[in-house]
Amino acid sequence: MLGVADQWVLLTYRLPREPSTPRIALWRKLRRLGALQLIDGLVALPLDARNREQLEWLADDVLEADGEATVWIAQPGSAAERSSLQRRMSAAAAAEYSELIALAKAAGALESQARRRELVKLRRELHRVRRRDYFPPPEREHAEQALAALAVTLDEEAVAR
Amino acid sequence: MKWATRPGCHIDRAACAWLIRRFIDPQAEFLFVADASEVPPDTTAFDMRGVELSHHRGDCSFETFLRRYELDDPILWRIAEGVHEADLEDERYDAPEAAGLDMVLRGLSLVRSDHELIELAQPLFDGLYEYHRQAAPIDRKRS
Repeated sequence: MLGVADQWVLLTYRLPREPSTPRIALWRKLRRLGALQLIDGLVALPLDARNREQLEWLADDVLEADGEATVWIAQPGSAAERSSLQRRMSAAAAAEYSELIALAKAAGALESQARRRELVKLRRELHRVRRRDYFPPPEREHAEQALAALAVTLDEEAVAR
Repeated sequence: MKWATRPGCHIDRAACAWLIRRFIDPQAEFLFVADASEVPPDTTAFDMRGVELSHHRGDCSFETFLRRYELDDPILWRIAEGVHEADLEDERYDAPEAAGLDMVLRGLSLVRSDHELIELAQPLFDGLYEYHRQAAPIDRKRS
C-alpha cells in the first residue's frame, strides 16, 4: 500500500512500566503495521484511512491499560525530513526482504517436501512484509523473484516425475 | 431501534450491522456519523472511539457485540475470527479467509454506498454462517 507522502499519522503514548503485557502487545502491533519509531513513545505511519484507524484503536488500547495516548495528523517540517522518514521506512523493509531472499536461497538445498513447506511459510511472510512496505525498495522485487524461483524448482520436479 | 457508526464501512462495521439485524434488532435502522459527538439521542453507537460497543482490549467491535449480548453460538465466534483478522491482522487467530473477506469488502466499499454495503453484507454473512454451520463438527452443530 502506498501512503500519501506528505501526511503522516502519529501516535504518542506512555504506558505504565508494569504490567508488561500491554507494552509487549503494543510493540507487536506497531511492528506488524510497520510503524516507524521516531523516539521513545512516538511512532509514525504514512496517513491513510486504515493506518489512522489502526493507530486510533491502539491509542484506545493504551488508555484502557491506564496509559496516555494521542493520535496526531502531521506533516514533516521540510522535504529533507520527509525523505529521511521515507528512507528509514524503506531501509527497514529492505532488511526484511533481504532476509527473505537469504531464506529462499537456503531453502533451495532442502528435499522437496521440506522445500514446499518452507515456500508456503516464506510466501506468508512476504505477504506480511508487503503489507507494511509503504515505500518499496528494489529488494521487494528481488524477494518476489527469489520465491518464484523456489516455486519453479518444485514445479520442475513435479513435471519430471 | 437506531444504530450509528462511522461512514466508510469496512469488514467490522458490515459484520456488526449483519449481527444486529440477525440476532439483536431485526428492525434496525443504520445511520453514519463522523464523530461520537454527532450521535443523536435514542441511537446506539458502535465501532467508534469512546463508545461501549467498539474495540476493547484487543477485541474488534464484532467480538465486543458477541460478549456484551452474550451470543455464545460457536459459529458466530468462528465468523468473529475471520472478521478480527480481516480488521486487525494481528494473527490472534488462524483465519485464512480473512484476506479474501478483506478484499471483497474493500472492493464493495469502492462501488457501493454505506447503506448499500450493509444490505449486501446480509446475504454475504448469512452465507458465511451457513457455510460454517455445515462445516462444523457434528457435536457443535445446532439444529
